Amino acid sequence: MKHQRIATAAVAVVTTLALAACGGGQDASSSADGGFTAEPAQGGTVHVLQNADFSYLDPARGWDGGVNNFYRLVYRQLTTSAPGSAEDPNEIVPDLAQGLGEVSDDGLTWTYTLKDGIAFAGGDPITSAEVKFGISRAWDPEVGIGSPYLKQVIDAPEDYEGPYRSGDLPTIETPDEKTIVFHLKEPFPEFDAVVAQVNATPFPEGSGAGDEFIHEIVASGPYRLAEYVPGSTIQLERNPDWDPATDEVRAAKPDAWEFTIGLDPATIDERLIAGQGADVNAISGTVQPATLPRLQTPQLQERTLQLPGICTTYMGLNTTKKPLDDVRVRQAISYAVDRTAIVNASGGTQLGEPSTTILPSTVAGHKDFDLYPSADGTGDVEAAQELLDEAGLSDGFTLTLDIRAQESMQAQGEAVQQALERVGITVELNLIDTATYYETIGTPSQQHDAAITGWCPDWASSAATFIPPLFDGRNIYEKGNSNLAQIDDPEINARIDEIKAMTDIDAANVEWGDLDEEILALAPVVPLMVARTVSLPGENVTGLHASANAATGGIDYVGVGLKDPEKG
Amino acid sequence: MTSPTDLTTAQPVEAGTDDTPQAPAAAAAGAPRAGGGGTWHALRRDAGAMLSLGYVVLVTLAAVLAPVLTAVSGWTPYAFDQSAIDPNLGGMPIGPWGGVSAEHWLGVEPGSGRDIFARIVYGARVSMAIALSATALTTVLGVSLGLVAGYFGGRVDLVISRVMDFLMAFPALIFMIAVLSALPASNRSALLVVVISVFGWPYLARIVRGQTMSLAQREFVEAARAAGAGGTRIVFREILPNLRSTIIVMATLAVPGYIGTEAGLSFLGVGVVPPAPSWGQMIAASVKWYAVDPAYFVFPGACLFLLVLSFTVLGDRLRAVVDAQEGR
Repeated sequence: MKHQRIATAAVAVVTTLALAACGGGQDASSSADGGFTAEPAQGGTVHVLQNADFSYLDPARGWDGGVNNFYRLVYRQLTTSAPGSAEDPNEIVPDLAQGLGEVSDDGLTWTYTLKDGIAFAGGDPITSAEVKFGISRAWDPEVGIGSPYLKQVIDAPEDYEGPYRSGDLPTIETPDEKTIVFHLKEPFPEFDAVVAQVNATPFPEGSGAGDEFIHEIVASGPYRLAEYVPGSTIQLERNPDWDPATDEVRAAKPDAWEFTIGLDPATIDERLIAGQGADVNAISGTVQPATLPRLQTPQLQERTLQLPGICTTYMGLNTTKKPLDDVRVRQAISYAVDRTAIVNASGGTQLGEPSTTILPSTVAGHKDFDLYPSADGTGDVEAAQELLDEAGLSDGFTLTLDIRAQESMQAQGEAVQQALERVGITVELNLIDTATYYETIGTPSQQHDAAITGWCPDWASSAATFIPPLFDGRNIYEKGNSNLAQIDDPEINARIDEIKAMTDIDAANVEWGDLDEEILALAPVVPLMVARTVSLPGENVTGLHASANAATGGIDYVGVGLKDPEKG
Repeated sequence: MTSPTDLTTAQPVEAGTDDTPQAPAAAAAGAPRAGGGGTWHALRRDAGAMLSLGYVVLVTLAAVLAPVLTAVSGWTPYAFDQSAIDPNLGGMPIGPWGGVSAEHWLGVEPGSGRDIFARIVYGARVSMAIALSATALTTVLGVSLGLVAGYFGGRVDLVISRVMDFLMAFPALIFMIAVLSALPASNRSALLVVVISVFGWPYLARIVRGQTMSLAQREFVEAARAAGAGGTRIVFREILPNLRSTIIVMATLAVPGYIGTEAGLSFLGVGVVPPAPSWGQMIAASVKWYAVDPAYFVFPGACLFLLVLSFTVLGDRLRAVVDAQEGR
């Protein structure tokens, strides 16, 4: 599931993200009354304008960039990522637990101790039993469709199917109300990041079966659900049973949040540009390319917030199809692709930057290299043609490219089509409905020669959630496959195992960067670009810190607040 | 007493009653039905009709000669031009009027820098091909089924009429969107023609049926029947020629409707598959850019508007002329 949205729960490591506030070269601090990162005042209502509804209110089901950030306002886990304003916002810090996990010598047993004074909305205390119950929901075949890491890492009986069908999960121990002990299948040095996954949220025992949490929230965070109209609005109000003394992560200054859903992206941009009434307190995601030329006035420039991207858009080349099974053909395609055209077609240089590596520059382990260089990134036609000649394909061939029927993806597909035509490769675009796109390309039997998609890392400390899912040859599944290239190279597999076993994360990240280059020498994928965010928050909003981990590179909601709560 | 002689005499009688001033000429020429030359003569004096016809001919020529025109202008509809757009402003065209220049006559598309002139002339191919094929198909279907229903009556008429009622009452646009999104994207153009035609023919068939029913009672048909002509022969040799002007007018009026439908379906994202250019798609893509690049909307919008208007005016004037001739 995680290759699913280009906005899967994401994480990066670079600290420069934290203060990524600069509109057109302006320094954040230069703008009036504190700019983007001032300390917000207590109170008021923050408005969020968005097009798409949240996938699920139930954190065991939902797991994507959009909703993870929302969960952070209403749910807590044993650990979580540091606030966007922290020195290292990608660090995993204790949340409900007093400290990070204590690991046994064999690396298989992890123990956490809960804080005092933590409670659900309504006043019921959160004990180790509730934490265990919430985590065990991940095994339910119907509910546990979100993040896979709990199931992958924690040891559980083979036939365990969640608390509603199989009852208690014996492998998680709760010796007392404050202590919870996990046993792992094999050592996993980054286990703190696993219990920070959104589906590790505690819930009262016995609750949340079936569709109970489709429209309901049992809040453990600073806000609780006031009103939810699916596809239209979500209103959050303060949770009186949340004790700020127990929470170092969430500033939670506003009294309420109001999410307005189902707005046309162009309408959102118009409202934010106008900034009338309550919209001075509004934030949203990235603006439309057509809006960029309108942000050139000094007033709007001052309000423009630019955030770097953490997700790579790439084209997977199906190595099981002829002639893509020939490495020279794949290399030729890597040479021929015109990244400048792709970036321009996706909204220009403000909304994206060309990428020649799998790991984006904002992600740990990134190594800067370009194996298939060309002038201005427009592609090296001669080098590509030479390789095709060598492969005996001087006259080119026809290739079917799977494309999501969505405007920017279509534009990217057309840009690839144009670029490859220069070396005689005819690209046929196969438009697939947005709803079924990822399912289709994740099913090898339905996959065509190539597909354009994206990948975001799942947590900060390493590239371990970036490279293995895409290139481990033992992870080619009949359904939900993320190794789009279907590459099964013994050398790559061995290198992945070797790096995963390293306990020194920094050294491992250097190795991940080298592996990135080794993999691209085989050209199973062509990295295209890294999309960036240009946002236009309302003038009364502040505390805007990016978080790769909590918000897929977007604004971390927990720090956001208003300069003047009386306004709007 | 062979039937052909009878038939040729039968028709001028009918024509003569309709079209007295021209009857001698028509009879002398042995034409089955008068009015062709007269209609053209009357239309030629109509400035609106001539302007419309001129535009239709212009678009048709542009569509047919699209490869030649783009060879002259220097840009194919698919070629990207990065130098014509500003990467830092979301890919907005450089220059006024959406990048109009000696290089790009009608400017470029934002984001890709593709030439709008080239896309419009190639888009005209798509629009015209689909609209004309759909018109041809609906005319064939509508006329034959209308004739059969009107002449034979009875059970045949009952079945065909109910089918027509059903299709006309059906929410056609919703059904088209559903069908086109469900079916695979290969060869969308042919699919569009079929889907548009299935819902289009009853409008013509109804009128043909009504006219056939009244013509079937006329003397020349009875004369043909008395002379021993069979049903099929009467329908296609006697009645059909008398419906000619009706069919021409109805078909001309149907074309703009189909152009609009194709553009509408492309606008909604179920039309022809990209990167093939289509006016409806261009208009859909331009909506987002209306504030900063209005020319992107204006050019394809004006082309579409003028084409639909021209066909409508032409059909309308044609009908007026034919009505006037029949009324005399």
